[in-house]
Amino acid sequence: MTSAVETQALTKSFGATVAVDGLDLRVEPGQVFGFLGPNGAGKTTTIRLLLALHHPTAGSARVFGRDAFRDSVAIHARCGYLPGEFALHPRMTGGRVLEWFARARGGVDERLREQLVERFDVILDRQVRELSKGNRQKLGIVLAFMHRPELLILDEPTSGLDPLMQNEFQRLLRETIAEGRTVFLSSHELDEVQRVADRVAIIRAGRLVVTDTVRALRRRAPQTIELRFATPVAPAVFETVDGVQRVTAEGNRITLQTTGQLAQLLRVIADHDPLDVVARHADLDELFLTYYRPDGADDDR
Amino acid sequence: MTAEIARYDLHNRRRSTLWYAVGIALYMLVIVALYPSFKNSSELNKLTEGNSPLAALFGATGTLTSPAGWVNVNAYANFLPLIMLLMTIGYGAGAIAGQNEDGTLGLLVVLPLGRQRILAGKTATMIVQALILVVTVAACVYLGRAFQVTLDPLHVATATLAVLLLGVDFGLIALALGAASGSRGTAIGISSALAALCYLISSLAPVVEWIHPLRYASLFYWAVGNQQLSDGAGPGSFVVLVAVAIAAAIGANIAFRRLDVR
Repeated sequence: MTSAVETQALTKSFGATVAVDGLDLRVEPGQVFGFLGPNGAGKTTTIRLLLALHHPTAGSARVFGRDAFRDSVAIHARCGYLPGEFALHPRMTGGRVLEWFARARGGVDERLREQLVERFDVILDRQVRELSKGNRQKLGIVLAFMHRPELLILDEPTSGLDPLMQNEFQRLLRETIAEGRTVFLSSHELDEVQRVADRVAIIRAGRLVVTDTVRALRRRAPQTIELRFATPVAPAVFETVDGVQRVTAEGNRITLQTTGQLAQLLRVIADHDPLDVVARHADLDELFLTYYRPDGADDDR
Repeated sequence: MTAEIARYDLHNRRRSTLWYAVGIALYMLVIVALYPSFKNSSELNKLTEGNSPLAALFGATGTLTSPAGWVNVNAYANFLPLIMLLMTIGYGAGAIAGQNEDGTLGLLVVLPLGRQRILAGKTATMIVQALILVVTVAACVYLGRAFQVTLDPLHVATATLAVLLLGVDFGLIALALGAASGSRGTAIGISSALAALCYLISSLAPVVEWIHPLRYASLFYWAVGNQQLSDGAGPGSFVVLVAVAIAAAIGANIAFRRLDVR
């Protein structure tokens, strides 16, 4: 099956700065692909390369199996885009913006457009300059979805939205996927992505750090175990156990994080007669922070 | 689709286009209405006696009390091109580079139109705005008949068309520079400097000997510097002005294709 998006060794430099460095990505149709990374990691540049806004310095980007730049007109007809820095002419009203973009696309399903306007409570009669960040963003969501595109490329889409609208947006994403369409969702917020994404990629300093399903990443995430003993126990006892990453001690309490097999660790814990053992679910946040940090887990790339 | 791009920009610039037209109409009506008061003034012609470079600098050469001389020195030689260039260079620099700096160009480029159509729409917008300005001016000159400003309508039409092309030339140069540099400021700066240089060459060519041979390199010479209002703009003017417009449009197209859009 043709991938919705595929990049090979995609590279973009601005002078001496390499914004995207040899990026290999593959997004299959019918899924939400979460594209994560800290600010300045190269997410927006990658999106601009996919949409032929930027020219690659090296490598290639293909969308629906076609060259992103050479076949850009045909690709753009099938894409919806919400930029991270969403800007419109300040004196146009919301209604006029939607009308003009619909005409420029050769017409859209007006019923769908009206449904989206109603659903996101979009203000149509005020000029863009009078709208709050959140209200502008809602206008951008309608612009991106109103022509029922096969691929949505969304850069920080919930920025400025209140929690109710964020939920509504997530429902819209689920409906989109249920219809077999594809979403490329860029964000620096894990929460936003993990709720809806099937697969994620993490980019840092222009390079791909990891790409996997959310479930597989969760399996890899460190588990936190909190222990309470009758008397203080030396943390060093646990530091040598395979898979244990971090140990902190406070009085007769020990907290540790582990990604390895639990059998050996449980034996060591049992040897010291614990009073309490509490194991928390895998902490995905911690895993992502590990990837985000400059000294992060490159081995897992 | 090209028409949609033009409609978008024309709509967003409708106020400034209207005020340019209102302003130039008021100015032109005052100029033609004042003609009867000056047409017998021998003092006025003394300004250009002896080929004064200072008078030439303001576009004043030859007889100023004839209808053609009066309209030329007060509008066609300086004020009208200035207003025209303010409008076209301003739009040209803003249409690609300015919108890219504002972050509004990206949403246009991801429409299924292609950059060439977007550029065609921008060029059409520029021509329509310039056309509104020159039609207003030509109409006011025609109304000047009521004030003894009797000029050959064909000569006025060709001279006015030459001013339009002058504006479009520099507007497209600004568009190309903006698309090449990505900077509205650079586009305005360089194209304005180029226009000022062309104006100086054309204005001083009749009175400064060493500049005289350089006049062919000035677009002002081909548009307003060669008695176009009294004799009409000839085919040579149109060939040069249209050729420059085509070259600048090709340059803009190449530069826009290469531009990294935000």
